[in-house]
Amino acid sequence: MAENEYLNSIEFRPDDFALVQKDMRIMDKKFETKPTTFAKDAFARFCKNKSSVVGFFIVSILILLAIIVPIVSPANIDNVSTPERFLAPKLFPAGTGFWDGTRTTKHVVYDRDNEIPALSDKNSVATIKSSLVSITVDEEPTYIDVASPYGIGGYVVFASDAPVADTVYKFKSASTVFTDKDHYIFNATFSDEEGVSDSMLGEYCVYLNIAGENVMIRDYSRDYSPISFDISAALKEKGIASGKGQIVFELKSSAEKNTYVLIETAVLSADAGVENEEDLATISISDATDFINIGDKNDLGYWACTGRKGIHHSEIYYCDYTIDTYMVVYGNADEVTYSASELYSWIEKGWCLYDASVGPESFVRLTDDCPIDEVVSQDVAGITKKLSRIVAKGWNYRKLGYTEMPSFLFGTDASGFDLVKRAFTGLRTSLILGLCTAAFCFCFGLIWGSISGYFGGNVDIAMERFCEILSGVPFIVVMTLAMLHFGRNFVTFVMALCLTGWMGTAARTRTQFYRFKGREYVLASRTLGASDWRLIFKHILPNSMGTIITGSVLMISSVIFSEASLAYLNLGLEGQKSFGVMMAANQQYLALYPNLVIFPAVIIALMEISLNLFGNGLRDAFNPTLKGSE
Amino acid sequence: MTKYVLKRLGLAVITAYIVLSLTFICVKLLPFERPLGGDAVQTAYFDKQYHLGYVQRFEYENPSYGELLYKTKPDKGRSYYYYQVPVLEQYGKWISNIVTKWDWGYSKNYQPNVAATVIIGSRIGYSMKLNIISTLLAVPIGILFGIWAALKKNTMTDHTISTLVMVFISVPSFVLISFMMRVFCYNLQWLPSTWPADTAPFWNRVKGYIIPVFCLSFGSICLYCRYVRAELCEILESDYLLLARTKGLTRRQAIVRHALKNAMVPVFPMVLGEVLSIMGGSMILENLYSIPGVGKLFILSLNYRDFDILFVDMAIFTTFGLMAGVLIDLSYGFIDPRIRMGAKK
Repeated sequence: MAENEYLNSIEFRPDDFALVQKDMRIMDKKFETKPTTFAKDAFARFCKNKSSVVGFFIVSILILLAIIVPIVSPANIDNVSTPERFLAPKLFPAGTGFWDGTRTTKHVVYDRDNEIPALSDKNSVATIKSSLVSITVDEEPTYIDVASPYGIGGYVVFASDAPVADTVYKFKSASTVFTDKDHYIFNATFSDEEGVSDSMLGEYCVYLNIAGENVMIRDYSRDYSPISFDISAALKEKGIASGKGQIVFELKSSAEKNTYVLIETAVLSADAGVENEEDLATISISDATDFINIGDKNDLGYWACTGRKGIHHSEIYYCDYTIDTYMVVYGNADEVTYSASELYSWIEKGWCLYDASVGPESFVRLTDDCPIDEVVSQDVAGITKKLSRIVAKGWNYRKLGYTEMPSFLFGTDASGFDLVKRAFTGLRTSLILGLCTAAFCFCFGLIWGSISGYFGGNVDIAMERFCEILSGVPFIVVMTLAMLHFGRNFVTFVMALCLTGWMGTAARTRTQFYRFKGREYVLASRTLGASDWRLIFKHILPNSMGTIITGSVLMISSVIFSEASLAYLNLGLEGQKSFGVMMAANQQYLALYPNLVIFPAVIIALMEISLNLFGNGLRDAFNPTLKGSE
Repeated sequence: MTKYVLKRLGLAVITAYIVLSLTFICVKLLPFERPLGGDAVQTAYFDKQYHLGYVQRFEYENPSYGELLYKTKPDKGRSYYYYQVPVLEQYGKWISNIVTKWDWGYSKNYQPNVAATVIIGSRIGYSMKLNIISTLLAVPIGILFGIWAALKKNTMTDHTISTLVMVFISVPSFVLISFMMRVFCYNLQWLPSTWPADTAPFWNRVKGYIIPVFCLSFGSICLYCRYVRAELCEILESDYLLLARTKGLTRRQAIVRHALKNAMVPVFPMVLGEVLSIMGGSMILENLYSIPGVGKLFILSLNYRDFDILFVDMAIFTTFGLMAGVLIDLSYGFIDPRIRMGAKK
């Protein structure tokens, strides 16, 4: 007690104390390294990892493109433009042979008349001709049993239509006038090929039916040698001066099998200058394929058939061709008709000058906006001689609203949208989706994990069980249910992705809290009276930030991936230009237009790879103990 | 240990129960849509639903009961009126139907009035066959590559394998499938571009397996390779392996007898888990390659708004997923006695 009283009795004043070693240097060695912070250290470690740096740059470039391209690119991705669909990717000028907007198609029927591939689209022959880069026609013809408009030759099959006994089928030409003068000749050739369409060669006869009489040309037989028959001579013999007649083929049926005759040609001819020369030519079968095509197409019925007529061994050629897709769509258009009102609207806009009273020569092109280059002819109508329409030549791209020939780096898709802009707009949507989700999951997971990790005990157990149940629901089930209930909009996506997404961050944060909460610095701070709040946010959290940030970066990559995967399951984002929906929609063109699938696939693969590399680099940088391991 | 196993299993069952219940209620809360089929189909469907207890049937109009779902054509001057039963009552009926009759409902539009379990049963075989084959392929290849990379650590071989693994893990599966189909089906025309029918010749069917099996196993190969490499690298630098070498074992002996066995500890449970969890089928693959498995069925039932099938499909995915989780955790304890799952500090 006495001691205490003594101590209390002493009064201390600041002057009583003096600092020893106040200005003395107490270190015996200088620091050899510069002082560093955690962030600086992490940055240095990150830079050492080359692949992560590369990953970071690729991610940055892709993100920059996703921001810039949709703003800068003038290409149209909103209004469907049918003529511009499926253009090939173009980087180099046409003709370089690689990435030049050309597309090579193999094995297409060759159109011999126009010397172009037989295409089903409605482009004119001239357009396709001017767009063709190269065409290789097969040396050997292919024989088909179908009448193709591009086929030639072959045999007309005249056949019975069912295996029945004792029926005679008739195949007869339209009637025309024959006389005993002028050397009317009938020539026919046949083929004796067996087994056509599982039928058998039949017994047939040919005769001329004229003025109620039958002049036999070849009696019933299986003789398939050529016929050359002088009709005029036969008429003279019969004493018929002239009359309307027709050539008739008769085919006997068989109960066993269908029967047929193969007629290669059946030509009627006469001296030059006879009245019905044209008639004769029309009813002659000089080319079997043409004959069947005309009969089938126009149904002119020059030959009536009670059985079945068809074609056998028609000859077509296939070709491989390379076409400049841009020239087809934007190239030099043929003469196109424009109405007068269109022309006047251009004059009004100051694009060109035209004087209808002078004619086509008066056309002057003023600006590049004008869709025509020259006027070929004009039509005037009525008493007032008002201009009704003009026929003009010009570049098609001007008509489609471009001032110069467009070129699309990745080509265009089924709606005629520029794939570059479409892809990067989609990537932007995906990135925004990823950022929104990651931001929410980051905040929520951080709070959840902090509370669970910091307080531990029963709070932790309850929160963990909750997570366990929630994570038990498969992701696809959550997504499906969310989309069925709330539609496939952006908010639903973020909500559904967040519903389970935050648990990763929460688990990571919880582990970090378990790791750090027992450390001495936390104990020291607690001794000094720091609140729970302060301990969590000021002391523990900053230390575990690295790992958590890394998780969030990787989360963005997984969200992009999830969105695309869902689109492939027909659960894609609606109403937004999403990357996944685009990829899934283009998937069906994989066989025909692989560029529509491959370019986006490369972009998303590049994005995923570099995000993962970047994320792994970050993880290693923030956590030195993990260095080297994957 | 037994206690832990029981606890894990119990928890899995409870989780499955909660998940399935939530799913059931969520699905039932969706607006009711009538079947697309004709009157006969509709009547049969509503009759089935009535017998299962999901709708109520009256012989007169009863607006006080709720929303009128369907009214049959008058038969002998009599019509039936079908009404929606409250969701919670349906829920009770649903549980009793499953427990007592193992009745999971009927298809509405996809194959009208066929039991959902029958439809699933006819399709699950395809998915399982594919997954078993791909696992059989993936496990040895993945482990071999992993071992190879680890033994040649920090050489060109290791870097090449690690880079490829990194790339292929990052490339989304649909991208891989698209590329393979483009190259092998369209450019080279070696393989069929869709799943061959059951009636196709044997060789065509075998060819049909190549792309799906390859795509399914590729991800797993990379995963196994990565794990085995990481694990083996750590073990190769451990003290006990050094001891083994100092005892006089050759490098080969030390690796085969000591390192490999331990490296398999984290890999084996992964294999088990993978086999189970992909039993459900890979949805994207089945959709892109038109494989008639349960994954494709999921998409079909969603498109047909056939929620009973969708529900059973979801149940399969959930159950397999949970089972896989439990199995992974349990097998750790069986394989490596040092690990005591769930043990206190």
